[in-house]
Amino acid sequence: MNLLAVSINHRTAPVELREVLHLSEDEIRDFIRRIKGTILNEGVVISTCNRTEVYGLPNNSNLTHKDLQNSLLNLKPVKELKPEHFQNYFSDEAIKHLFSVATGIDSLLIGDNQIFKQVKDSFEIAEESKFVGFLMKRIFDSTVKAGKRAITETQISEGAVTVSYAAVQLIEKIYSNLSKKAALVIGAGETGEIAAKHLKERGIGRLAITNRTIERAEKLAESLNAKIIPFNHFKDFLHEYDIVLSATSAENLILTKEDIKASMKKRNYNPCVFMDIAIPRDIDPEVKNIDYVFYNDIDSLNIIVQQNLVKRKEEIPKVESIINEEASSFLSWYNSLEAAPTIKNLRDFFESIRSEEVDKNKNRFSADDQEKLEIVTKRIINKILHHPTVELKKYTESNINSGDAAMRISIIKELFGIDKKNIKEE
Amino acid sequence: MKDIIDFSNILLPFLYIITFIFYSYDFMKGGNRFVNSKRLFLFLTILFHLFYLLLRTINFDHPPITNVFEIFTVLAFAISFTYFILELVTDIRGTGPFIIIISIIFQTISTFYIQDLVQVKEVLRNHLLGIHVFTALIGYSAITISAVYGLLYLILYKDIKLNKFGLIFDRLPSLDILEKLSFYSSVIGFVFLTWTIIIGIIWLPKAFPKFSYTDPKLIGTFLVWVLYGVGISTKIFGKWQGRKVVVLSIIGFLIAIMSTILTNFLAKSFHSFY
Repeated sequence: MNLLAVSINHRTAPVELREVLHLSEDEIRDFIRRIKGTILNEGVVISTCNRTEVYGLPNNSNLTHKDLQNSLLNLKPVKELKPEHFQNYFSDEAIKHLFSVATGIDSLLIGDNQIFKQVKDSFEIAEESKFVGFLMKRIFDSTVKAGKRAITETQISEGAVTVSYAAVQLIEKIYSNLSKKAALVIGAGETGEIAAKHLKERGIGRLAITNRTIERAEKLAESLNAKIIPFNHFKDFLHEYDIVLSATSAENLILTKEDIKASMKKRNYNPCVFMDIAIPRDIDPEVKNIDYVFYNDIDSLNIIVQQNLVKRKEEIPKVESIINEEASSFLSWYNSLEAAPTIKNLRDFFESIRSEEVDKNKNRFSADDQEKLEIVTKRIINKILHHPTVELKKYTESNINSGDAAMRISIIKELFGIDKKNIKEE
Repeated sequence: MKDIIDFSNILLPFLYIITFIFYSYDFMKGGNRFVNSKRLFLFLTILFHLFYLLLRTINFDHPPITNVFEIFTVLAFAISFTYFILELVTDIRGTGPFIIIISIIFQTISTFYIQDLVQVKEVLRNHLLGIHVFTALIGYSAITISAVYGLLYLILYKDIKLNKFGLIFDRLPSLDILEKLSFYSSVIGFVFLTWTIIIGIIWLPKAFPKFSYTDPKLIGTFLVWVLYGVGISTKIFGKWQGRKVVVLSIIGFLIAIMSTILTNFLAKSFHSFY
């Protein structure tokens, strides 16, 4: 299979270069318009913050990975970019790489299931741009199947791997139903915003936000349908909240042990969770000694993150075996498409040589012998082609090593110069 | 039939142990390898246990509730059966090993010491005794389960407080759920023990001439009943919750166990007066 793929990703290039090569949805559509029909007949372009990748079937057999890289750089020129910043894949290796990306094992954050959605979106863009043909459609189906199997059959996406998500996971180990709980987020910066969004996603009953600059709190509160509490008075309302998540950039402690003791008393010692995800810390760590107070800071949440990452890494071999199975099943299907026309073309090729030579030389034989000549030469061709035909037929069977089969079919085609145009015409 | 009963008596602890292994494997490995088969095996074990109890009732002409070792096998059955229903209703499967091990303990003691009594005192054939023992059994099963969930609550509470995120943290349901499971079980236990005590107080003095209010079992059960009553009412009225109620439930269970051991192993009967 003639599938080419080029990738610039978190393993090959620093973030500054990846940023420059990142393509927005409109840029992807523009890029597809530029390369469709001139460089690639069909393909897909994936671009996230950690990778930009182009997969496709080249317009002619002389096109190489370099041409694909150049077409990308024509759209987004980057002087600093060197060949080693790209990874190149061909045929079954390209398929396996695409499956690795979709299943999340190639992600910076192993098992990140965002990428699965991003890959699906990329195929949708390609489809809308009429860049997806018969073969890419089948590749897409197999990619989705591999991605879904990885999620359902393994634990590659299980457990929180970011601090703010770990905080939510821990909160859910204390409260079973967040819809009956109230949460206060102190600090409306990036970390606070992510944590507040996680809480909202998990169905928190009431959400309130407090921030030194009220405008920022208002903006976040509006997008999350949350209440705003003035920063100067938030301690007066502390006891009303079951979850307090602090993520400010304050230099000193915002909540002391005394503040929380007073709040717990007002709550009649109903359990309360304090998540301090700020550096330096916002809440006095001594509060963990108060009964029914569950206190966690970044360090303790990182323990959960690290444990989950280790567990995800342990799942990689299972995902790899799914990738191999799905790649093998795809390539078997592909080979079955390739093998039958190859047999026919091979036989046609030999027959054309035979008939040409017989026509050229038959006048040297008597009329009786000419007929024998036809029979004998046909028999020779049949005998020569018997074994290769049997072998090629085997490649249509599903239990054969698909990578091997694809390689052998392409060697046969190359050795005998069987033109691809012939196959398409057939 | 006697051979079948004897064979079943020996087989039962092994069936519970195998079920325990299934549940423990999934708990330790965190997978769902036996997610349905473990539940099926528990169901079959309970069914076999029920068959054994029926055989005993038919063969010895009385339900197996006339002495402590007969009651232990019914208790083992009741605890596992209650857990099975709880698992079906809540779909919380991570706590199985901690409950099934209690059934293993009761059934193993019963298997070793149970006797094939055919002759039973006429007083023990009274149907009020049936209700008294039945309510007591459900009450004790419920407080046993309440105590197990209470203990799991305390372990998870400590682990979260100390930032220990190990097996317990990964596999157990949330603190909230453990507290609820412990509390609801204790309410069921309290209601049934109330009936046990009421029936006991009405019927026991009439049935047994030697009846005494100083019987350790009676005092123990009454103490347990008071403790659960205090725990439940403080929780309902919002004065106490969480750890304090759970600790009360565990203390109640320990007193119940101690009073049973004291009466049965010192006085060698279920109550001191017979």
